[in-house]
Amino acid sequence: MTRRLRQLLLAWILLMVLLAIEFGASFIPLGRSARPLVLIPAILMVAAVGTLFMQIGREIAVVRLFAAAGLLWLSILLGLGSLDPLTRTDYHVQAANPK
Amino acid sequence: MADASYLPHEFQYSSARHQAETAIAGMWLFLATEMLFFGALFLSWIYSRHWNQAGFDAGAQQTNLTIGTVNTAILLASSFVYSAGLAFIEIGNKRRLIQCCAVAWMLGFAFLILKFGVEWHGDFHKHLFPGSHFAITGPLSGGAQLFFIFYFVGTALHGLHMIGGLILVGWIILRARRDEFSPGYYTPVAAVGLYWSFVDVVWIVLYPLIYLVGRGP
Repeated sequence: MTRRLRQLLLAWILLMVLLAIEFGASFIPLGRSARPLVLIPAILMVAAVGTLFMQIGREIAVVRLFAAAGLLWLSILLGLGSLDPLTRTDYHVQAANPK
Repeated sequence: MADASYLPHEFQYSSARHQAETAIAGMWLFLATEMLFFGALFLSWIYSRHWNQAGFDAGAQQTNLTIGTVNTAILLASSFVYSAGLAFIEIGNKRRLIQCCAVAWMLGFAFLILKFGVEWHGDFHKHLFPGSHFAITGPLSGGAQLFFIFYFVGTALHGLHMIGGLILVGWIILRARRDEFSPGYYTPVAAVGLYWSFVDVVWIVLYPLIYLVGRGP
C-alpha cells in the first residue's frame, strides 16, 4: 500500500469516527438554542474532506485563493443574513380589543 | 499533479502542466460558486428555525435517522474509494482506477435509492409533504411544514448534484476503459474527484441540519 493510500484510509477512518461522535452528541441533552453545537463534528469533517481528499493544501496559490474566497463570501452571506434573526428583540404587542 | 510537461497541450497554455493546473483551478472556482448556492439554503435553515424552533424541531423528529446516517456513511465511503482510484492512476494502475470508480458509482447510486426510493417514499406515505393533508397539526404545524420545505428542497438539490456526479463518474469509467489516462495525464479524474467530494461535503452539512439538531432528548 502506498503512502497516499494509507493516508486516505486513515482519513476515512477519521471521518467515520467523527460521524459516530456527531451521531452520539445529538443525544446529549442540550437546550433548543444550543443544539446547533452538534454541527461542530460536521465542520471538522468538512475540513478533513477538504484537506485530505480534495488536497487543497497541495494546490497552487490561485486555487487556494478561490477556496478561501468561497469561504469568505459564504461567511459574509451567513453572517450578515443571520444578524437580523439572531439580534432582533421582539416586543410583545397587546392586540387591540375590537369594539 | 504529476509532471506532464512532455505532453501535448492547447496553444494558449505554456505547458501541459499549466493546462492541467488551469482546469483544476476552474473546477475550484465553480465549487466556490456552489458554496454560495448552497449557502442560501443553509441561511434559510438558520432563519426558519430561529423563528419556529419548536415546530421546526417537531418536523425534524419525523425524519428517518437510520437512513440518514447510513447514507452519510455511504457517501464518505464513496469519496474515499474515488480518491483511492485517483491515487492508483497517479502510479499508473488503470485497472484499480476503473474498479474504484465503479465502486464509488455504485455507492452513489445506493445513496439515491435509499434517499428517494425508500426515504422519500416513506415521507410521502406519512403525509410529511407540506400541504393541506400534512401529518402534523396544531400550533407546531407551520414550523414543521417549513422544516419539510427545507428538507425536500435541500435533498432534491443535493440529489440533482449526485445525479450529475454519477454521470461524470460514469464518463471517467468510459474514458479509463478506452485507456485515455496515464500517470502523466489524469486531469479529468482529479477534477471529477473534486466535484464528487464537494457533493459529499454538502451532505456532511445537510445531515446534522436535517436529522440531528432537531432531535434532542
